[in-house]
Amino acid sequence: MRNISIFAGSSHPALAESICERLGIPLSPSTKNKFSNKETNIEIGESVRDMDVYIVQSGCGNVNDNFMELLIMIAACRTASARKVTAVIPCFPYARQPESPYKKNGMPLSRVPPEEVDKYAVLWDGKLPITPVPRALDGILEPPRNVVSGRLSPAPASVVFNVEDGPQVLSPTPSRNLRALNTVIENVISDESDDDEDNDDDDEEEITPSLPNGRSDSLLSLDGSRRLSTISKSNSNVSVLPLAPQPPAHPPTPAFPGAASVGYKHWTARSGTLIANLLMTAGADHIITMDLHDPQFQGFFDIPVDNLYSQPLLVKYIKEKIPDYHKAVVVSPDAGGAKRATVIADKLNMDFALIHKERRINATGSTASSSDMMLVGDVKDKVCILIDDIADTSFTITKAAKLLENNGATKIYALITHAIMSGDAMARIKRSHIDEVVVSNSVPQEEHLSACSKIKVFDIAPVFAEAIRRIHNGESVSFLFESVPY
Amino acid sequence: MSNSIKVFAGNSHIDFARLVAKRLGLDLAKCVVLKYSNQETSVTIGESVRDEDVFIIQSGCGEINDHLMELLIMINACKTASARRITAVVPCFPYARQDKKDKSRAPITAKLVANMLTVAGANHVITMDLHASQIQGFFNIPVDNLYAEPSTLKWIRDNVEDYENAVIVSPDAGGAKRATSIADKLKMSFALIHKERLKASVVKRMVLVGDVRGKTCILVDDMADTCGTLVEAARVLMENGASKVFAMVTHAVLSGDAMKKISNSQLDRLVVTNSIPHDDKKLLCPKLATIDVSATFAEAIRRTHNGESISYLFNYVPS
Repeated sequence: MRNISIFAGSSHPALAESICERLGIPLSPSTKNKFSNKETNIEIGESVRDMDVYIVQSGCGNVNDNFMELLIMIAACRTASARKVTAVIPCFPYARQPESPYKKNGMPLSRVPPEEVDKYAVLWDGKLPITPVPRALDGILEPPRNVVSGRLSPAPASVVFNVEDGPQVLSPTPSRNLRALNTVIENVISDESDDDEDNDDDDEEEITPSLPNGRSDSLLSLDGSRRLSTISKSNSNVSVLPLAPQPPAHPPTPAFPGAASVGYKHWTARSGTLIANLLMTAGADHIITMDLHDPQFQGFFDIPVDNLYSQPLLVKYIKEKIPDYHKAVVVSPDAGGAKRATVIADKLNMDFALIHKERRINATGSTASSSDMMLVGDVKDKVCILIDDIADTSFTITKAAKLLENNGATKIYALITHAIMSGDAMARIKRSHIDEVVVSNSVPQEEHLSACSKIKVFDIAPVFAEAIRRIHNGESVSFLFESVPY
Repeated sequence: MSNSIKVFAGNSHIDFARLVAKRLGLDLAKCVVLKYSNQETSVTIGESVRDEDVFIIQSGCGEINDHLMELLIMINACKTASARRITAVVPCFPYARQDKKDKSRAPITAKLVANMLTVAGANHVITMDLHASQIQGFFNIPVDNLYAEPSTLKWIRDNVEDYENAVIVSPDAGGAKRATSIADKLKMSFALIHKERLKASVVKRMVLVGDVRGKTCILVDDMADTCGTLVEAARVLMENGASKVFAMVTHAVLSGDAMKKISNSQLDRLVVTNSIPHDDKKLLCPKLATIDVSATFAEAIRRTHNGESISYLFNYVPS
């Protein structure tokens, strides 16, 4: 292969080396370290002028550091006149919304008690912002008809809005318009029999709307949230004037701590597009990745993205290493992964089951811990094979295993593509009912192998090496979607 | 000044952000910046920023890559939340020293960072004492490069006795322009140390150009990282007959055992700005003194928000 250079980032150099071994070319030298102030320092060790450069870096470990390294290497190769720069990212960072972030003491943020929510977000405080009314409209407020049933009291400092008693006005500081309107309403009600013939607009004290006679005036209407507003049908250019800032009668309670009731709902930023833009801005021309959590992620990029599948490798593993696999059941640990699992089940003519997580809001208002897991399908006395793409904290997979055990499964395998296993995930796996956890080496697994004997690793380097070879030679990559390279 | 302005702070220098917010008469806007279990950064903006003038204060220090990602994700979150304008306030610009291709295949990371800030959605950048002011040209969006110089001048006038007879010394040839600017403004004399460097952070030989016999010397530089340069320069100056040596530096990175080097050196004082947090370093060495530049940044933010000129800040320190 000519004009090709493969560089390894510091996240997973072993994978890059085995890819190079399969391709029969040496790994290109580069030094990656940090300056004393922790800035990343990259030196590309050989010329890349007019070469096709492939940079192998996985989104694991210190994700931000490794990502910056990747961007800087891409930029360095681009300014060094490389012909084409491809980023090979087996485990793509920021590809999904992970579980709740953690405070510094380890407590997940979604379980913050309601008293402390104020420190983190501004919740709706019950006051709607006052809609500004242009000055010119003062005095053209229409007398309300048809809805008012009974006298309005004069504008008090604050009264609760209650539809049955007739509209009263709640406003901390009654605005001029309000007072005007109330005066008008009083006047109108006291002379209800009058047709509105007189034009009192010369009178400054009483702000009476001046209407040409016979013209229809406005209706007081109630919109959906029980707020009064006037809909002017006169020939002034006013569409809808809110009567006054009115909060709803019963402020809704928050669904869970940290949720604003109405008004501003704070949300956690989703960084997928940003990462795609950053990669393109740094100068990448092509991305190769495996088992993206969200296949639509390819659409965030303007450059070609090859999303390789680990499914042929999983199928191969099941055929070769799981005895009597025909009688086993493929299980998806959540509804989102059902498609992934059914593809494998269909290929191998196996039965399929699904675990459904029902989120219920329990007494304290938290959805976090009281989700009921239901098994859809039958696993009694069968070997179960759980299929998932990412295992981070391993909550999903261990809870699923427990449920399967309770439903009579004899042996439980878990086949996971990206085994990040952060925190005490390995300890949880050890304690769990899973008999064997089979993972790929998209994330370095040496530590996990020594921590727990249940882990087995299958190698994805052949798939990536074959993909690189085919892309470099301009051949089709579709072969890799069905079969495992020899 | 609470109309449509919000000031957010990332995790790099929250104390500085609080000082700035206090000068502006605002509270820091609520946001939570943490890490997920797999070390990815999570940003939750706790208030509405729709149609607001958003300022995000994050310095390029400490865990630089993490703080840079935090800044980018905060900018992006505000952009997708329909903020009117997003200004990144970055007292110490990250990767500013990698601004040219000085070796084959060296990346120009400062340009990459400029592109990243623009792509994330920043509309404006405010920073201080860029390592090379040409970095402003890496951006297509407006960049305000504030100066620590007025604050430095004020400190010299207030704290160095008989400063008219002192000498401003630049520890390398690249900083000569910066040093002469200060020397001219205070009508002081000037000297220069010429340094030959083998590789990053290893100094070879230093030669003094100018006369410092019997004088107080004030070394002026933009960044103090490992402090190898400063300590060597102090030694050379004392060898050449200086009576006292001060060092005034804008960005105090002070990585590794810099504080130990300073303690053992012949420097009398090291005066830095608070663009980078260094309270823990102060405990290690009493020679460290701080100049507070939060007033300059607060005034820049206020003027940017109100649409006024900030030229005043290039010559004066807001009181």
